[in-house]
Amino acid sequence: MAAYEGLQKRLSQELEKYKLLQKDFQKTYSLRQQLEGQLNENNIVKEEMDLLEPSADVYKLMGPVLVKQDLEEAQQNVAKRIEYITNELKRHDSTLAELEKKQDAQREAINKIQQQFQQAQVKAAMKA
Amino acid sequence: MGEKMQAVDISKLGLAQLTQLKQQLDQEIELFSSSLQQLRAAHGKFQDSKECVEKLTPDTKGKEILVPLTGSMYVLGHFSDVDKVLCDVGTGYYVEKDISAASDYFKRKNKFVGDQITKVQKLAQDKVTLREIVIETMEAKLQATLAAQQAAGTS
Repeated sequence: MAAYEGLQKRLSQELEKYKLLQKDFQKTYSLRQQLEGQLNENNIVKEEMDLLEPSADVYKLMGPVLVKQDLEEAQQNVAKRIEYITNELKRHDSTLAELEKKQDAQREAINKIQQQFQQAQVKAAMKA
Repeated sequence: MGEKMQAVDISKLGLAQLTQLKQQLDQEIELFSSSLQQLRAAHGKFQDSKECVEKLTPDTKGKEILVPLTGSMYVLGHFSDVDKVLCDVGTGYYVEKDISAASDYFKRKNKFVGDQITKVQKLAQDKVTLREIVIETMEAKLQATLAAQQAAGTS
């Protein structure tokens, strides 16, 4: 009977870990989605700036004021931002892959304990 | 997420799997409908801006306008330059454009958003159809299980 309770305890512990992993995954995933949205927006801005004449006036909204900026400077800023976001996306992708692997491993561990649990139950039933 | 696209016969799935599938579809449909709402709002904004910029003719020069300083306070102003407008191109950047370029810009944006709306609408429609099929299959399965139970009960 002691083995029985031990198994149950372990099972709930492992389940707790699994839930934590799932939460982490969800969080990273929604962050990734946000980044993707930002990347899209920046790409659209880049496209738009590429269409402009080199002499065009560009303003950047900083708080409540518009500050005049060179087109070239603005383009560089956007390019830098795109690069940064792309790198962040890659970082999040690898985190997600890692979390997925951990989740799979955790699922397997839970399955194993569940099997042991069932075996213990069957044994107990046979004895009874 | 790495979604594995795989042809699966729905009728071969179990009730639990079908429920999961339906839940997933419900979520997707909800996402699509909120995306559509946002897209339509953006479409409307671009449309308004386009109409507005087209009303800005050389005749407008010198005319009076009430400029909102805050949401509840206005000052009287006069149009001094009706040839150029500043357009929001996203991420806080504004670009100075002349009237025809601005109108062109809004037309382009409108077309872009319109195309996206058509795309998302089609996707959403497909998902709704799929959801209906899943629900039908689920009902059929339930009926079959019930019938089997009754048959087992009477025999």
